[in-house]
Amino acid sequence: MKISNLRKNYEHFALNIESMEIRPGRVYGIIGQNGCGKTTAMKLLAGLTPPDSGSLDYEGLTPRDITMVFRKPYILNDTVVNNLVYPLKLRGITPHNGELDHYLELAELAGHREAYAPGLSGGQQQKLALVRALIFSPKLIFIDEAFSNMDIESVAKFENYILHRQTTHPTTWVIISHQLSNIKRLCSYIYFMYNGSVDAHGAAEKILSSPENANLRRYLQHEGM
Amino acid sequence: MLDILHDTEIIGVITLTLRMTLLSTFISSAVGIPAGLLLERSDFAGKRFVVALNRTLMASPPVVIGLVVYLLLMRRGPLGFLGLLFTFEAMVVAQVLLLTPIICGMVYTAASRNAGRIRAFAQTMGANSRQTHVLTARELSNEIYFAVVTGFGRAMSEVGAIMIVGGNIRFHTRTMTTSISMLRNQGEINQAIYLGAVLMLIAFSVTMTTDFLRRREQRTDENF
Repeated sequence: MKISNLRKNYEHFALNIESMEIRPGRVYGIIGQNGCGKTTAMKLLAGLTPPDSGSLDYEGLTPRDITMVFRKPYILNDTVVNNLVYPLKLRGITPHNGELDHYLELAELAGHREAYAPGLSGGQQQKLALVRALIFSPKLIFIDEAFSNMDIESVAKFENYILHRQTTHPTTWVIISHQLSNIKRLCSYIYFMYNGSVDAHGAAEKILSSPENANLRRYLQHEGM
Repeated sequence: MLDILHDTEIIGVITLTLRMTLLSTFISSAVGIPAGLLLERSDFAGKRFVVALNRTLMASPPVVIGLVVYLLLMRRGPLGFLGLLFTFEAMVVAQVLLLTPIICGMVYTAASRNAGRIRAFAQTMGANSRQTHVLTARELSNEIYFAVVTGFGRAMSEVGAIMIVGGNIRFHTRTMTTSISMLRNQGEINQAIYLGAVLMLIAFSVTMTTDFLRRREQRTDENF
């Protein structure tokens, strides 16, 4: 996926991404302070918000290949299992019980299969939204603070799952997180956003261990790195 | 117990009231629900005006609507040739004009609050346009149901407009509310109260039945 000169203007904010490249099968991180435009950028990349100008080349990906999981995910007014199978139903796929059990166990919701999903806790809803995004095997997954309400053990479990899945079913991930430990563990490449623009980018190890950009250095210090 | 309204007459009044209420609620829902959803979805110059107009119509006094319909349907009015004044159909027309803005406005308000999120979610799941519309309607079904029930309640309790366009004609356009109003004017307070209680009971039974049918399809909230 290639992005160039992407612009979006709001009344009090302007997003301007000159260039960005998302290569297949890699895990990208987008970091930056609150209000720097991470979520806006992600919505533009995911095709949820149209840009004012610029180009987005999905290189053959269709909207059905792309998904996004939000910090406050939308949960259908239905049971847990019906939420899980929703993207499969849209595609006319009949889910196998084994497959459902696998994802329900990953989300630690096997015991809540027939529970009313909007009644789940915030963390459980995030887990449900994550497995619901995984079950139809999209090629590009955007994650916006989707681990923020989960307990540490669940976050570690999902991180391990993602890392393992990358070895068997390489998928492209773009992750926004304020928990830099997530970013450090999962992402191979990082874009640092500042004031509506990409201020620095590079390989995760390098950019996080020896940041050359002053804004990024300040941000990492602030986040305790 | 009732001197003026004999049992067979009461049954006729109740039947007419239910027919009128259900038909006008059905027509208003068939128009108001899609209109509310469409209004939320569309973006056009003058949308604010249309929304403000809808809000005004939601609060319009029934007698004013009744008067407008009367002027339209009166013999020398633009629609006088239809010969609908003081008929069942005229009462339904008046009620539809009253109910449609209420249902449309309530659906629009609910959709404005949630439809954007539902559409964004549908897009992230890869839903096509038709699937997105179906999902939006399904996810808003609670709010839509509440709008329809509100419309039904308004139709059931309405008296001003149907009195003007229906004329409260015995065995023809007399409904429960117009009967209650007439009985009160005649000083038959006990009979008015009796009919009022029957009206309340019917409204309660209908809403409880629909509520029960809906709850059978839904699950109660659980908190973990």
